[in-house]
Amino acid sequence: MTIKALLGGVAMAAIALPGLAQAETFSLWVRSDGSEFMPKLVDAFNAKGEDKAELQIVPVNELVQKYAIAAAGGSQPDALSLDLIFTPSFAQAGQLKDMTDFAKSLPYYDSLSQAHLSVGTYDGKIYGMPFSADASVLVWNKNLYKKAGLDPDKAPANWNDIRKAAEAIGALGDDTYGFYFSGNCGGCNIFTFTPLIWASGGNLFEDKGAKATVKTPQMKDALEFYRGMAKDDLVPAGSQTDSGSNFFAAFAGGNIGLTPSGSFAIGALNNQYPDLDYGVTYLPGKDGDWSSFAGGDNIVVSAKTDEDKMPAIEAFIKFAYSSEGQTILAKNGSLPVRADVAEEALKGLDSRYLIAAKAMDKGRTPYTPVFNDLINSLNGPWVNMLNKAFFADSAEEVDEAMDEAQEEMQSIIDSSR
Amino acid sequence: MTDGLMAVPETPMPTRRRRRRHSQWNGLLFVLPSLLLVTIFFIVPLGMAAWMSLHKWPLMGVPRWVGFDNYERLLTDKSFWSSLWFTIEYTVVITIGLLGVAMALALIVQGQGKAISAYRTIYFLPVVTGFASAALLWVWLSNVDTGLFSPLAQDIGLTEGRVNILANFTPAFWSVIFMVIWKMAGFYMVILMSGLQSIPTDYIEAARIDGAKWSQRFRFIIMPLIRKPFALALILCISGSMLAFDQFYIILSGGPRNQTVTAVYKIFNESFISFRLGYGAALSMVLLVILLALSVIQLTFLSDKGPKK
Amino acid sequence: MNAVTFSDQAMAASAAPTQRKGRLRYHTLIFHATSVLVALLFLAPLVWVVLSSFRSPAESTQPPIPPWPMDGFSISSYDRLENFGQSVLHYSGNSLFVAVGTSMLTIVVSLLAGYGFSRYRFPLKGLAFVLILSTMMIPFQSILTPLFLLLAKMGLQNTLIGLVFIYTTLQLPFSVFMMRNAFDAVPKEIEEAARMDGVKGWRMLVQVMGPLVLPGVVTVGLFAFLNAWNEFLAALVLLTDQSKFTLPVLMTAVQHGRYGSVDWGAVQAGVTLMMIPCMILFLILQRSYIRGLTAGAVK
Repeated sequence: MTIKALLGGVAMAAIALPGLAQAETFSLWVRSDGSEFMPKLVDAFNAKGEDKAELQIVPVNELVQKYAIAAAGGSQPDALSLDLIFTPSFAQAGQLKDMTDFAKSLPYYDSLSQAHLSVGTYDGKIYGMPFSADASVLVWNKNLYKKAGLDPDKAPANWNDIRKAAEAIGALGDDTYGFYFSGNCGGCNIFTFTPLIWASGGNLFEDKGAKATVKTPQMKDALEFYRGMAKDDLVPAGSQTDSGSNFFAAFAGGNIGLTPSGSFAIGALNNQYPDLDYGVTYLPGKDGDWSSFAGGDNIVVSAKTDEDKMPAIEAFIKFAYSSEGQTILAKNGSLPVRADVAEEALKGLDSRYLIAAKAMDKGRTPYTPVFNDLINSLNGPWVNMLNKAFFADSAEEVDEAMDEAQEEMQSIIDSSR
Repeated sequence: MTDGLMAVPETPMPTRRRRRRHSQWNGLLFVLPSLLLVTIFFIVPLGMAAWMSLHKWPLMGVPRWVGFDNYERLLTDKSFWSSLWFTIEYTVVITIGLLGVAMALALIVQGQGKAISAYRTIYFLPVVTGFASAALLWVWLSNVDTGLFSPLAQDIGLTEGRVNILANFTPAFWSVIFMVIWKMAGFYMVILMSGLQSIPTDYIEAARIDGAKWSQRFRFIIMPLIRKPFALALILCISGSMLAFDQFYIILSGGPRNQTVTAVYKIFNESFISFRLGYGAALSMVLLVILLALSVIQLTFLSDKGPKK
Repeated sequence: MNAVTFSDQAMAASAAPTQRKGRLRYHTLIFHATSVLVALLFLAPLVWVVLSSFRSPAESTQPPIPPWPMDGFSISSYDRLENFGQSVLHYSGNSLFVAVGTSMLTIVVSLLAGYGFSRYRFPLKGLAFVLILSTMMIPFQSILTPLFLLLAKMGLQNTLIGLVFIYTTLQLPFSVFMMRNAFDAVPKEIEEAARMDGVKGWRMLVQVMGPLVLPGVVTVGLFAFLNAWNEFLAALVLLTDQSKFTLPVLMTAVQHGRYGSVDWGAVQAGVTLMMIPCMILFLILQRSYIRGLTAGAVK
């Protein structure tokens, strides 16, 4: 009886639905890095109206692959919160819907993150819109600073400051190290290492990604800077094989003096390691100045997504941009992507977020449609060069690593055209 | 009489023929499900792969016919040839290591008795754990901070400070070799053991009484008599190792610095990391030809030289 | 069969010469000492991970020396694993479905094929046999993408059933070879006798031949189960829906960690969880398993 009644109800609902309202359900993917804020945002959105987003969290290392395979089989999600650096390659492959008109119709279009929009644009059209943001910053352990007799409130402003502090902290004991970086992780280091080069006046790509500029004095200086610290045991041995799995945990363990990290670390440290007293500052250049990698996600819509679903997706994007949406993001580990409500969204939060938000403002994002091959691949030229150079025995080896990377990157770029 | 004699063979002929035709059809019927599976899920995709190898075939976007461009490009692809070279190196090392250890283990477990059967069970146990779990386990044990090997080496004074064994080629490579031997030796042990057990003991006993040393008995009696299982172990080991992937992917990610990227790993990278499916398919075709050639060489060497059955 | 004759002969041999007894005892001692030492080496990694998985969260970030929990037995590693995605039981269920499905299908298909190849003559029989065996030589990684496109066409992509078909296909060369040998080993006379009694067709296969090739069936089923349970790459590539993940795919996500940190305790718990069922199954079935395997090797 009850089952019959239930079935009847379902059937009626099914019949009633199309006429009732244009309530639409769309599928939405996010990489696992967004597993803090995305479910909350989706829940809030689903509670609001008839439109529903169906969220799926995909392991970060498998997102591109999974999407591409799903797309080949026609089971791609309707919308996707995509690591922003992949927007050009997805757009180049014709996978994405042109969102230029929708984006420009937004009254606050000019306040949206410029770094996101610049990589979200391909061939003059906007395919990806800013969604979540994460800026790279330098964090230091104030407890260890005090122990080493350093001023815990004085942020390092250049490479020499970092090196001096790392030496003082490294001298504290066997299990304490001055500095940490994930020495075998391309993704981590594009995020935290390239700002050192940018802030010193160098660049990694020129001409909208058509030219690799690996072989530069700035790159060489930065590589030598890290190599020196690794050679003098200021960095733990695990760094050499860390392909990103220890990127955050190393510093959180409390025995690392300084490490370049991301704004996501602020929330994670506050929640999981409340006893750790740390400071946040910009990633400095060799002799001062600073820079940051503007990371995070763009929201994109699959080219094959049904037009009927567009209003629901657009409603979701607008909700995410509302001050309510931006506040949910900010409270759960993402920086705001809309500058005019940023302060409101960050109100009441840890003041260290403001530094990250400022870093975001000035942040840069490398533009290349072959980002995965060049940078993120575990066997790509970028991570190969870094690993070889960071732990090289001689300066010649560093040069050799740079030469190889320059050649291989350029050939990958050329063959993709 | 003669009529009768002639008549006897003549009458059953049609029935026998009919029965044979009937049973022919039956035999095919029994084999059909397996043929269907292999055709749909192997032969057809393989044909598609061959077809794809003649295209520039991105995973996202439209495939484009390029003829033999992919094959031309592969000839000058240094990273492919070095991955192939590494695979061969690995295969040689692991085959010697595995079959050597397996033979030693087989000699231990060939006998009877409670203790021996317990040894047999224990040596075989890692075989059933699967490469993914074994590799995950090894990643942890080899980890410099939270693992077992390097802290242990430091604690017992073998090394000064902790050595990151996965950071350099030689220790990393041997770590994987140890893992594979640990995990797979039991499998080959059982195959070789079956050969040892089928040797009649009087052969060995007779040789012993004639004064043959242990090494002589092993070299001249045991080895020739277990040629068949040994050949099987060798073929399985070589073709398995030429296709190695999991352990290098999970434990080393092809590192340090791409020195442990195997041929299959390279194909995987091209197809599923860089999404150059056409090029990846061309590489697969080359690997396929190499493996087939290897198998043919092995089969002719090992089975024809031996005593024919 | 071989084992039995061998043991009889071994006993007869060892009973004969008494003058070598002293030397034999010494040899036996060395033999067992070595064997036990090797056994300990083989067991160590397994024992290490199982024991370590019961350490407390604080301990699990330390090297496992000693491996057992120092400040109390704790299942927190399993708890944390439970909180990763959906319940771990759900993913274990997926793995179990795939493994059982694969082993059932493999048994049925290879039993039929083995019987066909062993007992019938038909056109192109040799070619068909070589065709099935030759798939072993080809890295299936290289045909994963066409496979995916194919599964999508058949409406089987992103389903556990699709995975079962693929795993079964991958099991076939070994299984068909195994089963053909198992049938070959059955004397023709038994079949003839049964045929005299009027047994034919399916009944012949199931009632007469079935019990005789049972060790082969167990081997084939067990290998299929274990391989499907442990397979990782195809599952990783072919399953796009998180709720369909099998245990190994889940475990790589755990190993990669979140926010750049790895929960090694959860990795240990997961590895334990993946290994234990395989080991239990093997310990229960090992007799027919090893017997079946060696029968295949000797032929």
